[in-house]
Amino acid sequence: MPKVTIDEKVVDVPEGTNLIEAARLGGIEVPHYCYHPKLSVAGNCRMCLVEIEKQPKLQIACNTKVAEGMVVKTQNPRVEKARRSVLEFILINHPIDCPICDQAGECKLQEYYMKHDLAVSRFPIEEKVHKDKAVDLGPWVMLDMERCILCTRCVRFCQEVAEVNELCVSERGDHSTLTTFPGAKLENPYSANVVEICPVGALTNKDFRFKCRVWFLKRTESVCPGCSMGCNINIDQNEGEIHRLTPRVNEEVNEHWMCDEGRLTYKPVNQKNRLRFAKMGEKDLHPDEVLRAVREMMTGVDPNLVCGIGSAQFTNEDNYALASFLKELGSSHLFYHRFEPAHPSVDDYLIKADKNPNTKGVSTLGFKEIGGDRRFKFFFVLGALPEEALNRIALEQQKKVILFNPWDEETVHYADTLLPVGTFAETEGTFTNCQGRVQRIRAAFPPPGEGRPVWQWLTHLTRLFEKPAPNYTTAPALFLSMANQIAAFRGLDYEKIGNQGMLLKG
Amino acid sequence: MEFTPENKKKIEEILKRYPEGKVGRQAALLPVLRLAQEQFGYLSEEAMLTVAQVLDLSPASIYGVATFYTLFNKKPVGKYHLQVCANLSCCMEGAEKVVKHLEEKLGIVPGETTADNRFTLSEVECLAACGTGPVIQVNENYHEKIKTPEDVDRLLEKLR
Ligand code: SF4
Ligand code: SF4
Ligand code: FES
Ligand code: FES
Repeated sequence: MPKVTIDEKVVDVPEGTNLIEAARLGGIEVPHYCYHPKLSVAGNCRMCLVEIEKQPKLQIACNTKVAEGMVVKTQNPRVEKARRSVLEFILINHPIDCPICDQAGECKLQEYYMKHDLAVSRFPIEEKVHKDKAVDLGPWVMLDMERCILCTRCVRFCQEVAEVNELCVSERGDHSTLTTFPGAKLENPYSANVVEICPVGALTNKDFRFKCRVWFLKRTESVCPGCSMGCNINIDQNEGEIHRLTPRVNEEVNEHWMCDEGRLTYKPVNQKNRLRFAKMGEKDLHPDEVLRAVREMMTGVDPNLVCGIGSAQFTNEDNYALASFLKELGSSHLFYHRFEPAHPSVDDYLIKADKNPNTKGVSTLGFKEIGGDRRFKFFFVLGALPEEALNRIALEQQKKVILFNPWDEETVHYADTLLPVGTFAETEGTFTNCQGRVQRIRAAFPPPGEGRPVWQWLTHLTRLFEKPAPNYTTAPALFLSMANQIAAFRGLDYEKIGNQGMLLKG
Repeated sequence: MEFTPENKKKIEEILKRYPEGKVGRQAALLPVLRLAQEQFGYLSEEAMLTVAQVLDLSPASIYGVATFYTLFNKKPVGKYHLQVCANLSCCMEGAEKVVKHLEEKLGIVPGETTADNRFTLSEVECLAACGTGPVIQVNENYHEKIKTPEDVDRLLEKLR
């Protein structure tokens, strides 16, 4: 591995690494706009100029590969002067409308200006070249043409990742403009990713713009519940209202991206029809009352009439808690259901036809698909299972359903008892994606009202039955028990899963 | 809109000059756009879509290239397309005055066509004849050292 000296620091980096990445490995940030680690090198912004010993001119770090013994300076006066000049050049026609720009607070122009320039503009605002603002590019993206610095990241994203060249730079010189073909739209299934890779406020997310200043957002690392891929995401929320989901890097899963459909999965969390209180029939009841009523109903029943219906929409921990609870009651009848839209989107990249984040997990835990055996009377159900699915395995006589759900939906009103639980955004636990990768989701905030995790409800209920398990106090404790009990989970460690996930055994 | 059978053949010939696959088709874009301009008169959006289809490239990538080059007309042009070089060397030799005079004489500004459809005026980038500026390209022909209003008038006279 070549050794290079960057700002006096010797770093050992793999052959073929460019100087931006080499510096990053040494903990040094070389400012850049057009370079993106997942896209081809364009070398057009010149922001990444650095000095390399024995080379008379400054070189762009993004397009320079390391060589043994290279000595690089990224912060001497010459480099700093070049950087200021480049910034001044990029800003010549910039409208500087930060106060009304949604990128403010996470804009590389602002950041680098504050860090490297801070000069007064020599270009009067009246003389700037003006272009169109608020150009509707497609279902997700709004373009402000005059904020664009023409780095072409978005163009390359469409070419190289989405593999549809929907964007181009038209005209030349200071008339250069980012655009689609006249009348055409930016509408590939990954289109909104251009918003995150745009280093400035030229591309903004129509679903997010003007909703919340970014410095008010709190970020929680999670996983998209939209399909079995389980793209890694950030939940960005303010005071319990989610404003956007953005992709989080996981090279083994979604690299740097997520699909547009997945970005909508937060909407149901914010929805008004959340189930806030435990309910029996039409009545809201105190949780303790409800649990006591359930206990009464279940006392002395034949365990063979009881079954648990897990869900591929719920975490491993929730499903596992259900399985252990049933075991205490003496029943091992475990089924699961999943959400199956009639025409699921699918492609050969990230988008999977199975629109459930945890199918692999719930089947690994031993839950079976709902069969046609009509012999159960008592049902503990996770999520909104359609009644007719239940009827397939219910005895003719009246069935009793205890259903855990985040929403108060018409379709679940057949349940005798409804218990409010969190959505993915309010739950701590793990999903197992289609690759068998166990990935952690984290609660961005607590569920509304009396909502609590499934496993917590079940723990309380178990106590009423005076049974030993499940008796869990935290999601990690549950995970530990699962790792001890379930062969495929053996050896996995909640802490080690971290934010990049771990593969199931086998 | 379609290429003539003759031009289709020419496109096949052009494609043979480049490697197979997308890179080759991208390389063939410039000559094919010239052919399109020749046949259709100018590169309308429709013409660009035809090229996109023939070369199996995305419309956006055609649009980027077509709008970059001043040699491609995105609007119909008159009988004579006066393309005045407005780059550095020509400007030092007085290209700006030449444009001004043309504007006055023809009653149009760059980008416009006279009502009789005879002249279209454009400013273009360096025509690579910097030593003999200012340069005006009229359709496919260069007219060099057009410095004074009189030079301009003489040229226009020839074109009447
Ligand atoms: S819109 Fe953004 S990403 Fe695209 S070229 Fe302009 S600055 Fe770059
Ligand atoms: S591909 Fe699947 S997991 Fe990834 S963002 Fe889209 S819906 Fe979510
Ligand atoms: S990041 Fe190197 S030139 Fe743009
Ligand atoms: S500057 Fe006019 S021909 Fe080069």
